[in-house]
Amino acid sequence: MMSDKMKKDPRLPDETFEPFEETRRIPLPVYWIAIALAIWGVFMLVETSHSTQVADKARAQLDKQEQTKTAQVSAPDPAAGKALFSDNCATCHGDAGEGVAGAFPPLHGSDVVKLGGAQAVTEIVMRGIGGPLNVNGESYDGEMPAFGSVLSDKEISEIASYVATGLNDGTKTISASEVADIRKVSGDMDPWNGGAELAGLINGLPAQPDAKTPAAKGPDAKLVAQLVNEGTDTVWSCASCHGEKGEGLETVPRLAGLPAAYLVKQLHDFQKGARFNDSMAYVAKGLSDREIIDLANYYAGMSSPSGATPSLQGDLKRGAQLAKEGDWSIGVPACFTCHGPSGIGVAPEFPGIAAQQPSYVAHQLAMWAGGARHNSPLGLMAGISKALSDADRRSVADYLASLPPVPGSKPADMVAMTTSASAAKESSNDQ
Amino acid sequence: MQITETLGLLLALSFIISLLALTILIWAIANKQVHTPDADDARSIFTPGEGAEIDTPDKPHHFDTERSGIDQVSASPVMWLIAAAVFWLIYGSLHGLAASLELHLPDLMSGAAQMTFGRMRTVHLNSVAYGWASQAGLAAVFWIIPRIFHTKLRMVGMVKLGIVLWNIGVAAGVMAIANGWTDGLEWLEIPWQIDIVLALGAACFVAPLISTTKHREVHHIYVSGWYFLAAVLWFPVLFIIANIPGVHHGVEQATMNWWYAHNVLGLWLTPLGVGTAYYFIPKIIGKPIYSYAVSLVGFWALALFYSQVGIHHLIGGPVPTWLVTLSVVHSVMMFVPVIAVAINQHVTVARNLWALKESMPLRFIWFGALSYTAASFQGSIEALRSVNTITHFTHYTVGHAHLGAYAFVSLVLMGAIYQIVPRATGKYFPFPRLIAWHFWLNVIGFAVYFLSLTIGGVLQGLAQLDATKPFADSVILLKPYLEGRSLGGGLMTLGHVLLAINLIALGFAKKTRETETDNMVAAE
Repeated sequence: MMSDKMKKDPRLPDETFEPFEETRRIPLPVYWIAIALAIWGVFMLVETSHSTQVADKARAQLDKQEQTKTAQVSAPDPAAGKALFSDNCATCHGDAGEGVAGAFPPLHGSDVVKLGGAQAVTEIVMRGIGGPLNVNGESYDGEMPAFGSVLSDKEISEIASYVATGLNDGTKTISASEVADIRKVSGDMDPWNGGAELAGLINGLPAQPDAKTPAAKGPDAKLVAQLVNEGTDTVWSCASCHGEKGEGLETVPRLAGLPAAYLVKQLHDFQKGARFNDSMAYVAKGLSDREIIDLANYYAGMSSPSGATPSLQGDLKRGAQLAKEGDWSIGVPACFTCHGPSGIGVAPEFPGIAAQQPSYVAHQLAMWAGGARHNSPLGLMAGISKALSDADRRSVADYLASLPPVPGSKPADMVAMTTSASAAKESSNDQ
Repeated sequence: MQITETLGLLLALSFIISLLALTILIWAIANKQVHTPDADDARSIFTPGEGAEIDTPDKPHHFDTERSGIDQVSASPVMWLIAAAVFWLIYGSLHGLAASLELHLPDLMSGAAQMTFGRMRTVHLNSVAYGWASQAGLAAVFWIIPRIFHTKLRMVGMVKLGIVLWNIGVAAGVMAIANGWTDGLEWLEIPWQIDIVLALGAACFVAPLISTTKHREVHHIYVSGWYFLAAVLWFPVLFIIANIPGVHHGVEQATMNWWYAHNVLGLWLTPLGVGTAYYFIPKIIGKPIYSYAVSLVGFWALALFYSQVGIHHLIGGPVPTWLVTLSVVHSVMMFVPVIAVAINQHVTVARNLWALKESMPLRFIWFGALSYTAASFQGSIEALRSVNTITHFTHYTVGHAHLGAYAFVSLVLMGAIYQIVPRATGKYFPFPRLIAWHFWLNVIGFAVYFLSLTIGGVLQGLAQLDATKPFADSVILLKPYLEGRSLGGGLMTLGHVLLAINLIALGFAKKTRETETDNMVAAE
């Protein structure tokens, strides 16, 4: 229907033309490019083989560490014990174990250590201790976190042996395998309930004050447990993301042991949009004020082992420096200045940051730096986070993840309905 | 550790051996150790062949495939394949468009599980990869192979059985995916039970091609023949190994997954597209390909280097560093075959730009050939760790995938369809203007699509890398680019509808074609 009108270019071939290839040399640039790429390729592979060797070396070193960690026979090394003591214990108990009058009991010349030996020290380090306690006739009423979830058997044996034989004149050390036996029995138990419970462990311990009875569970305890574990018709359960023991995972934070007032403020902020997170905004809007307070008190009173391990390839030394001393060259104060010694938190404003999930901490610091989170009092965290580099954020998050978890708050720190109302008001003033 | 070292050594050796093989090949070409088809050789193809003497024997490089009865035999399986391919093209495009719309209108079609993004996108991929591109490519193979071998297609009945089985397989696979039954690996979603049907169909394609090749009447195999024959041997190996259930687990399965997914592009669709372009560009223009030696380098470099390319999809994943590096190196080595093909094809077109005005099919095929060069260069660069850090997990990758599978393979095959159909059916396309419309809708639509995803993808990647920005920021900033993608996709789909209209109308038209007519699809 159109063949008549078709204009044909005379250069078009007829239908019988067959494609073929001419005999021509390969253009020289093709050789050059091929040779250049081949050299580059060999170079890349050689470089990778180097990285493989590095990885193999690191793996071999890890294997070796693993072996020494699990070595059951070697006696505890006193020098290692001293170093571990100054990293983990000296913040509160002092470099020489002298303690702080009225706050932290001494370990040097302590009757508890003398009578209980390395065995009792291990038990306390493993589980932590809280509540009234008499040491050398002085009375204390503090909280010591459980180190069981952050220190290995070998490390605990070295610390306990150092406390018993280095700081005191005991002669009996404890081996890693003995620590492992203790861990099997009491690794998962709650902290020692003051001197009263300790008296059952250590024969001949001088008179101890009565233990505090645990706060009577309110009539709502069952309802709270249901909210935490099963959720309601409108909101899913807290534990489905934050874990059964409130230990968190990845970018979901640990809640156990955070100040109740802080938790209440965060939930209110999620409700109002002052703090932004799609999941939490939805959940918080589905909670009543009563439920928010009950949940905050529930998690504030919770003691649970650390679920965090350093996992962001941060530099732990740098992290420790930032947490303990800060870095004035970049205008960053020590984390512990506000968040308390060892990052255990200072109620009501400053949450505990020890044993917090490292991904969560690094993520929140980045969000403050970028302005996506902006609900800290006086904008403190924004300025600090902006000054930290990405590597610093990962380092400090990893260091905090290596610390023992914050023990659950005492009943006195719980919020009641009225205080929460004022907390809510306060947080709205921040905006 | 010992095992990984041994494997690493073996795989690194695969690079060294490939390099050595390429060096020897180039040395052999340079020193004339490889027999090159000179004029005498080309003339030799006319000696006894079926009806070759009908043609003017004094004209070298001429052979009448129509009067020798070759085209007539291939015509019906080729038309079956084209009809089925265009059906899947339309079906797949509509699903692709729907999936694209769902990205910026998330509540659209959220009523039924079959209509959700995850299934729409997967149905799109499987229908266009296995239904459209594979079958359109096979149509070109079954059309061209007998022509360049100067012999009729053998075992035509088996080919037709293969077409029936293949389409049953694709239809069943797509239905299974839409209803939530999949193997759960990208490009391998069709359940392995249904893959058996596809594998049988593939076998029905391979046997007749091997038989036809055995009966060839030519001494020298033209470059398209290398690509086609290699592709039909590579594909069944890839497809069967990747689909055997229960062999690969965990990280190894991911490695196998991307080995397959990239090879199905590079060792199946790419040779189909390159081979088709290699045939039709000189055929339509009437001028030879630039250099036989360059063709050799192009083909063998693809064969030697491509198979290790896929693992660059797992950069940053939990696979051994050396494996990823090997893949990156092989990806970059792809510059060699791509440059070779580019020299051969683009030089021939560039010296004859007048032909683009004369032939609509050539326009499609030339645009496809240019896209092959662009997609391959882009892919080699994208495989570098420094670039991949930004583009991985972004829409940039989607843009790149469409530059390869759409702008290259699909455009070449559409051109091939416009060229083949009038010759296979003896009819003109009733609406020649729609062909031009189709071309421009596809080119403009694709430009909008590709630029949106490329720019949006880079911005998305940079936003994702910025730890101080919430993830949602990287999603929100994409919205206008995703809308641009839907616009581009809509234009492309419209172009495909025009192709279908022309084909259906041609089916109802009376025979009009005179046997000697040239270039039945010429513009005008």
